[in-house]
Amino acid sequence: MRRAFDEDLEALQNQMLELGSMVAEALARSVDALKRQDMEASRQVIRNDPKINEKRFAIEADCLRLIATQQPMARDLRSIAAVLEIITDLERCADYAAGIAKITLMIGKEPFIKPLIDIPRMLEKDLSMLDRALKAFVERDVEAARRIAAEDDDVDSLYDQVNNELITFMLRDPRTIQQATRLLWVAHNLERFADRVTNICERVVFTVTGEMREMNIQEPEVEPQ
Amino acid sequence: MDKIKTEHLYFYYGKKQALWDINIAIPERQITALIGPSGCGKSTFLRCLNRMNDTIPHTRAEGKVYLDGEDIYSPNTNVVELRRRVGMVFQRPNPFPASVFDNVAFGPRVLGLYGRSELADVVEASLRSAGLWDEVKDDLRQDALSLSLGQQQRLCIARVIAVKPEVILMDEPCSALDPIATLKIEDLMRALSKEYTIVIVTHNMQQAARASDFTAFMLSDAQRTGQLIEFGPTAEVFTRPQDKRTEDYITGRFG
Repeated sequence: MRRAFDEDLEALQNQMLELGSMVAEALARSVDALKRQDMEASRQVIRNDPKINEKRFAIEADCLRLIATQQPMARDLRSIAAVLEIITDLERCADYAAGIAKITLMIGKEPFIKPLIDIPRMLEKDLSMLDRALKAFVERDVEAARRIAAEDDDVDSLYDQVNNELITFMLRDPRTIQQATRLLWVAHNLERFADRVTNICERVVFTVTGEMREMNIQEPEVEPQ
Repeated sequence: MDKIKTEHLYFYYGKKQALWDINIAIPERQITALIGPSGCGKSTFLRCLNRMNDTIPHTRAEGKVYLDGEDIYSPNTNVVELRRRVGMVFQRPNPFPASVFDNVAFGPRVLGLYGRSELADVVEASLRSAGLWDEVKDDLRQDALSLSLGQQQRLCIARVIAVKPEVILMDEPCSALDPIATLKIEDLMRALSKEYTIVIVTHNMQQAARASDFTAFMLSDAQRTGQLIEFGPTAEVFTRPQDKRTEDYITGRFG
């Protein structure tokens, strides 16, 4: 009796995974284009962003159709609600990629003030977290979701590292301020990306347990002077 | 505040056990829905709440059913008075083959109300409460059976209200009605729940989800017919049920 609905739910999940890969690819390309200071590749990332938005709206429409026609209950309802949230996070993640591409265009061809080391590390961490978070959703793996969310701390410390390093540059040579600020924004986007992945992890827990709880809440820290 | 409470309620049709150890507290002036697959005992349970099952020979209830703290199965219970306090609406509308007026006036007359203007007042108030007044006020002498099914069901509700009950039991009151008539009954239930405690048996899970405050899920298994599996606020039962059997039933994964 509910085979058709199960197939619909699976198709919905596959669409979400597809959106996830589009987002991962956008982020990877944006950082790669930054590293190579490739303007055309950056423009390509920006031009591609509307396709990601469209995909997100298409999935949203599917969710609403399933809610209207199947009147889902309990776990089914939670999983569709989770997909609605996750695609919003993914769409925002794609905006971070487009943001990085725009910064690359601003920096242009001027030589980097320093080799990019931690930014590619942040990228790698982001992509790995996203990939595993979506897998945890598919497998309804609460434990994995909790572990992945905890890794947000690693991304935060990389960000702090980039931040401190760039401030040192700016203090030493005010001519670096413009580019250093831009690179700081790149790092900031990558840091926010991981926060969004944490939201996805929260949705995994919600889908399985019905619990709505923030993961990885941090006390606001005051930097020691 | 609990209006009805059962403790270790068991029920038997002859030797056949039909309810197993039901413990539930039904809150006052709320709508409680009973859901579950056919044969799970939800109608049997409903009919225990005003001893309607007494009318079936060779049946037996064990355990306690309290109405406002008084055991309705105690030997001193006045069953006629009990059924006035706990009224019932059935699956198919069952108006008497008489006028609209006489249908609603029937109960008050039985209770000894004869004054013409008092009766007229009770009939009007009851029809208004049942949301039927505007549709029938121009011809209260018309035959009740000439009304549409949805109107007949609201007439039956008016007939129950006319004797000033405290609880209204509804056994699948919308199963014979079209969607619009169904929504009218649901709106009516919502309005009535300000004054009355309502318990409704429904096969329609969406109806339970949209029209009730609390939901009880009942189920039978090979050993025990008529168990209460889960009871809680409707919003919780339909979004995060505690028992896997409830989850399986409401998501259609049952069996």
